[in-house]
Amino acid sequence: MSKKNTKNEKSAAGELLDSLYLDMFHLIEAHTQCRIDIERTSSDGSILLARTKFQQGGQSLSTAQIPAENSAEFNALCRVKKASDEDISIERHPVDKENGYVEPLYWFSVLPPMSLRSAVDKFKRTIDLIAESANLQRELSRVLDGINRLRQTVALQ
Amino acid sequence: MLKSTIVDTRVRLRPSKKLLNLLDKQKEHLKELPANLAKILEKNGYSIANSTRIIRDDEIVCKRPQIDVKLLKKLTANLPDVPSSAQEINELPEEEEEEPKQPLTGDFLYLNDLHFLNSTLTELRKNNITNVYLYELIESCELILPENEYKPRNPELEARCQRLRDEQQNREYHKMTKNVDATLKHIPEDTVAYQLKSINKQIIAVAQFIFSVAAGFTFGFFGVNLMVGPLPFGFRILLGVIVALIIALAEMYFLAKKLHEYDEVLDAPKRKTPNSPKASGVQILQKPHVD
Repeated sequence: MSKKNTKNEKSAAGELLDSLYLDMFHLIEAHTQCRIDIERTSSDGSILLARTKFQQGGQSLSTAQIPAENSAEFNALCRVKKASDEDISIERHPVDKENGYVEPLYWFSVLPPMSLRSAVDKFKRTIDLIAESANLQRELSRVLDGINRLRQTVALQ
Repeated sequence: MLKSTIVDTRVRLRPSKKLLNLLDKQKEHLKELPANLAKILEKNGYSIANSTRIIRDDEIVCKRPQIDVKLLKKLTANLPDVPSSAQEINELPEEEEEEPKQPLTGDFLYLNDLHFLNSTLTELRKNNITNVYLYELIESCELILPENEYKPRNPELEARCQRLRDEQQNREYHKMTKNVDATLKHIPEDTVAYQLKSINKQIIAVAQFIFSVAAGFTFGFFGVNLMVGPLPFGFRILLGVIVALIIALAEMYFLAKKLHEYDEVLDAPKRKTPNSPKASGVQILQKPHVD
């Protein structure tokens, strides 16, 4: 009876290990893809920022337009939030001037150019992707940990 | 060397002899085979049974497996929480020594093939033909992770960047030493003709401004009166001033922009073309200041 039981357990462990390995490969691919997307969107955003600066001319921006230490305080529009199961997610707050949620896009001009707007969109997308990548990485390390532990168990049997 | 973007995000496995041997042994039980796997087998000198059907990659179900977390916890429950890393390290090289590396180049297993192998092995185990698990096969294979390609920087671009840097530095140096070095005094910006020209330009811009404001006032003063009929004198002046003010505001904006541009142009000395006719000044300018 016990022998059969161990055999059952062993086969279950083997199958579990197989699926863990497959999951690991899937996660590696997804993680790589995510990283590539991050690279792409952030470089697109940087190019758009550069284009904005090129169109506006070199002298149109100054540090005086950026809030300093003694200017009015404001709240962050975008926060990292812990979702269920240790995953993180990005929480965005709508712009609300009365309660201190300021849109930084309007620091520099009342009518921001199109390229600056799309740069903002790109960078927002990048932040989402980074959160996704962090989640994937955590999952990957969990799977790797599971593989390690399971292999030790199998080796012990 | 520049890192370029990863092109192929697929995870690759270099198949070991063990895996290929096993596939060869079980080939009468294999009803179908993915195209990639069949190619690898043929390349390494194994034959494939005629009854085996070659399937395309998109026919294989490739889905992320569901992990039974409860079972995993149950199975690893009797392990200490912190796995001793020393034991692992001792374990791993041993296995690698057992399996000498096979230089099987060019052929890789992809995720599709692994899914196929998994389902096949499950089937075989169910029919009690073999008792091999996928992880035992994978352990003997070499895992190749997606990597960035390195490519050298384009020499043309490098040369251009270098040239632009030199030009910029020369320009800065020239600007810095303009009023110190007497030999550099003979530059176009300091000649009377050049200055007259630039003054002319600015005078024209200002004159345009004055003319348009005057025209605006004239329109308000006479034009409205002519169109609508006789108006009181004070009202006509008011109208003229209002129209002139509106035009002045708009014109002021453009004037300020234009004058600002002039300043910028004056600040940065003009780029010198190498074959400029004014040889005396140019030769000194081309001498790089960093030696």
